[in-house]
Amino acid sequence: MSLLQWFRQKSGLDTRASQYTYSDDPVLGYTSTRKIADRWVNTTCGYCSVGCGMQLGIREGNVVSVRGNPDHPVNRGKLCPKGLAEHYAIAADGRALYPLLRKESALARISWDEALSTMAQRFSSIQKKYGSQSVGVISTGQLVTEEFYTLGKLVQLGMGTRNYDGNTTLCMSTAVAGYKRSFGSDGPPGAYEDLEIADVILLIGANVAENHPILCTRLEANQHKTLIVVDPRVTKTAMMADLHLPIKPRSDLALVNSMLRIIIDEHLFDTAYVDAHTTGFTELFASLAPYTLEYASGITGLHPELIRRTARMYAGARAPFIGWTMGVNHSTKGTETVNAINNLALITGNVGRAGASPFSITGQCNAMGTREAGFTSSLPGYREFQSDADRNELARIWNIDASRIPTKRGLAYPDIIEAAVAGKIRALWVIGTNPIVSYPNIDVLRHAFGNLDFLVVQDGFHPTPTSELADLVLPAAIWGEKEGTYANSERRVSKANRAVDAPGEARTDFDIFLQFARELGCREELFPLWQSPADAFEEWRRVSSGRLCDYSGMTYELIENSAGIQWPYPAGSTEDPEATRRLYADGLFETEDQRARLIPTHWSPFPEQPSLEFPFVLNTGRTVEHWHTRTKTGAISILQQLSPRAWLEMNPSDATRLNLKPHDRVDVVSARGRVSRVELRVTEIIAAGQVFLPFHFAETNVNQITQSAFDPISREPNFKQCSVRVEKSPATRS
Amino acid sequence: MELPLIVRLQESETPFFPATCPDVAEAGTFCGVSTTGHELAAPGPGEQYRFHFDMTKCIGCKCCVVACNEQNGNPAEILWRRVGEIEGGTYPFTQRHYLSIGCNHCVEPTCMTGCPVNAYTKDDLTGIVRHSADACIGCQYCTWNCSYGVPQYNVDRGVVGKCDMCYGRLTRGQNPACVSACPEDAIQIELVNIEEWRSTYKLLANSPGMPSADDSLSTTRITLPASATRDLRKVDIIHLQTEKPHWPLIVMTVLTQLSVGLFAAIAWMQFLGIGENRFAAFAALGVAVAALMASTFHLGRPIHAARALKMWRRSWLSREVLLFSLFAVSAASCSASLMFGFAAAPVVGAITSLLGIAGVAASARLYLAPGRPAWNTPITFLEFFATTSLLGAAAASAVSGRGFYLDSLLVSAIFCGVSLALKMIRLRFATRHELFASWQLLASVLLNRLLLRAALLVLGTWLVIGSQNAKVRIIGFLALLAGEFMGRYLFFVSVVPSNIASGYLAQEAA
Repeated sequence: MSLLQWFRQKSGLDTRASQYTYSDDPVLGYTSTRKIADRWVNTTCGYCSVGCGMQLGIREGNVVSVRGNPDHPVNRGKLCPKGLAEHYAIAADGRALYPLLRKESALARISWDEALSTMAQRFSSIQKKYGSQSVGVISTGQLVTEEFYTLGKLVQLGMGTRNYDGNTTLCMSTAVAGYKRSFGSDGPPGAYEDLEIADVILLIGANVAENHPILCTRLEANQHKTLIVVDPRVTKTAMMADLHLPIKPRSDLALVNSMLRIIIDEHLFDTAYVDAHTTGFTELFASLAPYTLEYASGITGLHPELIRRTARMYAGARAPFIGWTMGVNHSTKGTETVNAINNLALITGNVGRAGASPFSITGQCNAMGTREAGFTSSLPGYREFQSDADRNELARIWNIDASRIPTKRGLAYPDIIEAAVAGKIRALWVIGTNPIVSYPNIDVLRHAFGNLDFLVVQDGFHPTPTSELADLVLPAAIWGEKEGTYANSERRVSKANRAVDAPGEARTDFDIFLQFARELGCREELFPLWQSPADAFEEWRRVSSGRLCDYSGMTYELIENSAGIQWPYPAGSTEDPEATRRLYADGLFETEDQRARLIPTHWSPFPEQPSLEFPFVLNTGRTVEHWHTRTKTGAISILQQLSPRAWLEMNPSDATRLNLKPHDRVDVVSARGRVSRVELRVTEIIAAGQVFLPFHFAETNVNQITQSAFDPISREPNFKQCSVRVEKSPATRS
Repeated sequence: MELPLIVRLQESETPFFPATCPDVAEAGTFCGVSTTGHELAAPGPGEQYRFHFDMTKCIGCKCCVVACNEQNGNPAEILWRRVGEIEGGTYPFTQRHYLSIGCNHCVEPTCMTGCPVNAYTKDDLTGIVRHSADACIGCQYCTWNCSYGVPQYNVDRGVVGKCDMCYGRLTRGQNPACVSACPEDAIQIELVNIEEWRSTYKLLANSPGMPSADDSLSTTRITLPASATRDLRKVDIIHLQTEKPHWPLIVMTVLTQLSVGLFAAIAWMQFLGIGENRFAAFAALGVAVAALMASTFHLGRPIHAARALKMWRRSWLSREVLLFSLFAVSAASCSASLMFGFAAAPVVGAITSLLGIAGVAASARLYLAPGRPAWNTPITFLEFFATTSLLGAAAASAVSGRGFYLDSLLVSAIFCGVSLALKMIRLRFATRHELFASWQLLASVLLNRLLLRAALLVLGTWLVIGSQNAKVRIIGFLALLAGEFMGRYLFFVSVVPSNIASGYLAQEAA
């Protein structure tokens, strides 16, 4: 700054007025001149799976503004605070710009050619030495479907390892497993429209006001509903409820089973539907014997009459909707709880009807895409590893020998980590996820990473707590810099588009996969003549054709023109692409006999009960301003301003007993570790005996203390309950 | 710094829950709402636009905050719209609600009436309180006058800014950014009949988490949930921080008071016809000039300091500047008269003293700001005049080398002590949270400084009165001066501003 400039500013001659002018924008209206774009690009939000349509404003090659797409059926122009500030993620500090290779303990810049050849060479030498299954891949729910599809083929067929999973196992695998067991296939049956049609909405372990705020517009639009929220915390969503059921942690399964028993005992179920479309009613009924009101009341802490009332409301409703998220999924009993929820919907005939469905509200923007196309826990197109027919069909489409397709899935995410601890997995490729913040009990993960011979981290940002540990860092383009499709919670396929180029030498994940395939020598065989995500989409349409998740009638153009299309949308469909679609409306399911399974489930206490040493139950969760491990949102100043750090919620009675005061810095300690210096929030939001800590913050990482306990079926971690104690942090010099 | 958990304080002296709370529909008719929805009619005679905030719909997502910052291109730390949290009840019957507040576009905007440069205008047609960055000199007086903390100082620009209800959008038929961004339709613009509002606002503008609407007749209508409990309160009131000291203002107020006190002493001596006062007058003049110079360093745009005279008909800040400017001119004349031995010297001295006393009064009056409850009391006058008489008497005895003022010094010191005691008693026994919080600050993190301030008062008084030695008396005077500086520093840092509720983590913990 020149002396003159300094004087002009200090004296007040210059008030930087030019930065604070306003102009008319044809899209935004009258607004800050700095936000005015010269062109707009339609896209879909890259955070959560609500799947909001948005438009990015670009001026001189920079994204300067964002707005909700008023014509998009999901959000009708609205965005949550993360979406409203999403354009800042692109030019945020800390983007990964160049490939980096660890040389003599420090990461040094290398060329892409060197990076990919090193990666190919290290992976193959490790596979040669320790076997083909010694390399693992952990991806994400944040890539576009085209990339998931490409990566699946690359890993399973090109690299020859089955040990491939995504961080979706940390959030949605329970819903997937539950749907598969009940209905024969994954796929949430309902649609967002149901939230506006339903007369009873039961949200279990779903804090939509915090995590899916745009869905609240649907709740608000439905003025005739009874909203029942089941949550141990008085969440923002609980405050919206007509009836809040403040259950004890992880007692949801007992609640649902008790509701099932009341509905059957009082003959409130749909006999015709049960007879025509389900199997296993007798076994289910027998399994419900223990779930008397008194028993369930003891487990849940709810008054028996409240449970009865809820059951009657659900069974008596014209169109009851059940939505759930992580409160159910993040549990060792998660899959069973999903099955119990499905049981509830099935015996009352409330699957796939307008307004009535058991609906898992998904987490990441394209977790659905990897579920459909991903080749991790199932074959692309909801096909089964175990099925000869499915494998043969795929081999035919791919023009390969069917014997190359694995007959069972490889290790799930936590089992890959355990195999690394055991020295069986020797190299890992981590794509678009930040396990050092998001994986439970991270000391185990660190141990696993320490055991690896080679760790590749592919991410849009560097350094992240995970990329810091990498031997090779591959810089990736992020949302806004690449093209493809996302499928949201209601199976709506929307387009994400490239608005600007990736910074530095960062490349799209799609390009990285294809170039790595060339390095492995399998590009032409697996991805013949592929140049762009559109080529992958074309093949995916053929692969999905005739499946439940049928994309074959969709084209990029049709998706763009209709602001998203819900699958199934088969080729030749005469339906309006924008029409709302639901699954199983005809009562025919994806099982062999086309009947849904009623699956007996059994509640048991969560694995780590409070003790004298660790008297509190720790609950974990999120806040509206941040996304997952804050790689993006932590770099966006307005979101950091609104939510600068973590906090620990504690009931006033506990705080008084422990002589703790609001804003004290406390340590949260479990048998596994310690989170230091968290700011205490003394509040009636949380029950006595429980504490709550959000998981976004690497600085006070809740996964230092969470537990290595996983659902036996879905392999999803039990993030939501473990036992801890809380101590006042030792004073530090400041 | 915290308040004890069990002490549940009132956030404001206004009761939030009237005995009979009218329901929305009823309120809508009698408070003059004539339109809702997107087609917003132009205000008719006696009407203006206002915000309606529907607390029953708000889910605390803060979309409005982000949208506001995008709309106005503000940096992240400047939030023209803020979302605060309020909580009440006992688990599981907990109440948690949110307050999204921009500017309340008050009927009697205290930001505007205090502004010395007429940077604020209340738009004739819409009633929107608008602020001009061009006119603003960055004195930040409005930030004290608004009890909602609405105007915010942009250090980078050297001027204040605030919500203008997206005036530019409204006049183009577009919704304000916050209104368009809200996913729950919790914020609306509507018309209000101002005369009807005067009789109904107490029921409809007040809310837990909001300072009293009485201060400025806020126009924002707040719909509270029917289930709202009486113990709903801000979540952020337990955590306290000291305010910025504003050093130029500490220097300015203490030194103007010293100068005025000294001129008054000189005038008194002139009246009695005793003493050789030339040196004292020049010293006092120098102090006055230094004080006025210092004050400009407080401004974001010191080059436009002279604009502060503009609104003397309305703003106490303008009046202060005007009176002290006249005082300085008069003081110069007085010094010159003494220097040249003009016969009119006693008259000029008297005029100087009267102008100075008026200046100190204006100075004290301007601190009676609604947004700074600890200052908003007649005790501020006592404090300022106690300093004036104490430093005047001590300086006169130090520079004139005479013991003439010892009685008045003793009286002044007692006056000082009494005003301090009154202030502390007022704060200690206050029910209003901001006042008691000031006491908490003074009694804890600021206690050592408070004790030092009292000790300097006693020591200085003792040295000046007790010693015949001129040097010791000067040291005594300097001790008193230091004590008054410390006192004024505490005045500024111990004030707890009134504000709307904020988030729990909005402030960095001490």
